[in-house]
Amino acid sequence: MLPLRLSSQRHSRSVSRPSLNAFNDKSLFEQTDNPAAVQTCKQRMKVAALVFVVAYCVISLKVIAVCLPHGIKINLPQTHMFHEQIIESPISRADILDRNGSILATSLPTVNLYANPKKIQNAEDAAEKLSFIFPDLSFEDIYKKLTKENSSFAMIKHNLSPEQQAEVNALGIPALEFQTSEKRVYLQNNLFAHVVGYTDIDNIGKTGVERSMHKRLTESSKPLQLTLDIGIQDAVREELAVALKKFKAERAAAILMDVNTGEVLSLVSLPDFNPNISIPVGDTSLFNFITLGIYEPGSVFKTFNTALGLESGKVKVTDKFDATKPIIVQKRRISDFHAKNKWLSVGEILTHSSNIGSVRIAERVGKEGQREFLKNLGFFDTVKDFELPEKTAPRFRSEKSWTPITVATVSYGHGISVTPLHIITAFSALVNGGIYHTPTIIKSDTQKISRRVVSEQTSDQMRPLLRDVVLYGSGKKADVEGYEVGGKTGTANKNVNGKYLQSSVTNSFLAAFPISHPKYALLVVLDEPQGIKETFNSRSSGWNAAPTTGKIIAAVAPQLGLKANFDIKTQKAHIKAAK
Amino acid sequence: MINTKTAFMALWFTLTCIVIFGCFVLKNQVHDLEAELSKINQNIASDIRNIHILKAEWGKLNTPDRLRKLATEYASLNKINAKQIINYDALPFENESSQIKIATSDKAHLKQLVKAER
Repeated sequence: MLPLRLSSQRHSRSVSRPSLNAFNDKSLFEQTDNPAAVQTCKQRMKVAALVFVVAYCVISLKVIAVCLPHGIKINLPQTHMFHEQIIESPISRADILDRNGSILATSLPTVNLYANPKKIQNAEDAAEKLSFIFPDLSFEDIYKKLTKENSSFAMIKHNLSPEQQAEVNALGIPALEFQTSEKRVYLQNNLFAHVVGYTDIDNIGKTGVERSMHKRLTESSKPLQLTLDIGIQDAVREELAVALKKFKAERAAAILMDVNTGEVLSLVSLPDFNPNISIPVGDTSLFNFITLGIYEPGSVFKTFNTALGLESGKVKVTDKFDATKPIIVQKRRISDFHAKNKWLSVGEILTHSSNIGSVRIAERVGKEGQREFLKNLGFFDTVKDFELPEKTAPRFRSEKSWTPITVATVSYGHGISVTPLHIITAFSALVNGGIYHTPTIIKSDTQKISRRVVSEQTSDQMRPLLRDVVLYGSGKKADVEGYEVGGKTGTANKNVNGKYLQSSVTNSFLAAFPISHPKYALLVVLDEPQGIKETFNSRSSGWNAAPTTGKIIAAVAPQLGLKANFDIKTQKAHIKAAK
Repeated sequence: MINTKTAFMALWFTLTCIVIFGCFVLKNQVHDLEAELSKINQNIASDIRNIHILKAEWGKLNTPDRLRKLATEYASLNKINAKQIINYDALPFENESSQIKIATSDKAHLKQLVKAER
């Protein structure tokens, strides 16, 4: 109680008209015995009023805060991002597209079926019903999973179809539950098997682009675009499959490259596989011959040997070399397959694929020059920055054991083993004006590393020589009217356990078109082709790899938008004759 | 003085009540709109999912293998051959000489008209 004594007059007044602001009414405290007590009273009332005001303010603010849409925090940018997130990512692994935007690999939303064995009531009945829905699962397996002790999770089946999911739902078994998932689907089946690769059941890339670009594919939902083209890839694969069957070869492979950018437009290695079906590890179809298949390339290597001579400055196009008789190097006899037994010009050495002439060119340049040139063309290293994980290093002799016989054999493509990827990349540099472009299968706006490896003059000199091989030499069957094919054949006996087998060969044809202004380079490899009636039982490259190359070029050139460059006079004559 | 204070207090109280009520109504409306937005977002997500599946189906329908089969069965189309592409300049025109004559006479006529205008 406050120690106050109110006057009777004031008391009666306050009753008749109570003051709303009694706290400031000084008359109330006029007649007190103790002024200190009045002072204390005033202070206490002020504190009490302040407490009430603060409490009222807090309550008011809280009421306002509660009424606001998101409390007092309204963060529009966050809300905006939230919406974008919903709209952007229906799947977690990005698609893989070809250069025109067609889908090569995509993920489809599916569900996985799992069970909680602790909740299962009648495992036998459930297993029987499930084995009926999933004929590929046995009753025993399902029963074993459903009766798993001390476990609350047992995966029954991955990637159910909507029909299967509906059927499982209809069973009404509470212990069965679904888990949302994604299934990687490869729409083109075998067509891009070695390029795109495949993922395992947990969507982790195992081979190809799926493996090398796993991080990129999972971190961004933006599709990954490749440089390859579905139409061209299909045309190449079709022709290659025909050749594989026709010549009864063990393997066939082809790679088509844009010589001015290093972009790979087609990469096929047969036999291939369907990435939608699981393949046992170690299966031969998983082997990508283009990037893993190191082999002695044989005479296609004479292209590089000729360029070596011209680039060194020690050999001129007009120079002639003695090919009248076989040559002996370190007691080994080197002869020509189609011996001309005469002095041959640089062009003739290439046209007639003379081993003797090639050895003479290499000997004139010497060991150091040869090694330096081949190293510069990338033949001593794994192809750097190429986006496929399946790559291998070339096999060649060390500098110490690079003897005169190595200089001689390497000049015509023996004593060194490289992959088709090495060959096509180096060849592109020889014909495009001398610039080595890092090969790529990923479409990108940024230019990859390029470097000059031969002079423009050497490149200019090489092109007519390659055209002559197709017009007058071993590559006649690769010619396609209108597309000016230039190239080189290669028939190499296979080396098994250090011995060259006469019965098995690896054939190659290396082409560029149109050779006057090369845009594309193509390498076709047939592993162990057989002689057939049509080839007069010949197994040489000119009879199998060369015509296959011609057919591929005829099929892809119109798709590549190349205008056939016909001689108008000849064409007019053709039309007249047709009349 | 008291009247003013009383009126001020009453006004303050009333305004607070109006603001609270207004906020409550606003929250309700926003809540409804958020529900609507969430539904729209769900529909968009579902549509995107369906479009994604449809794109995959379209890709599957356009595989070169299938198109080749269809072309063989219904269109009887063959691959284009380089020989089929003829250079325009190589095409013979039957009335090539008469066309040249027409062109030159047109040119002469034009020149006459230009002179007349001058």
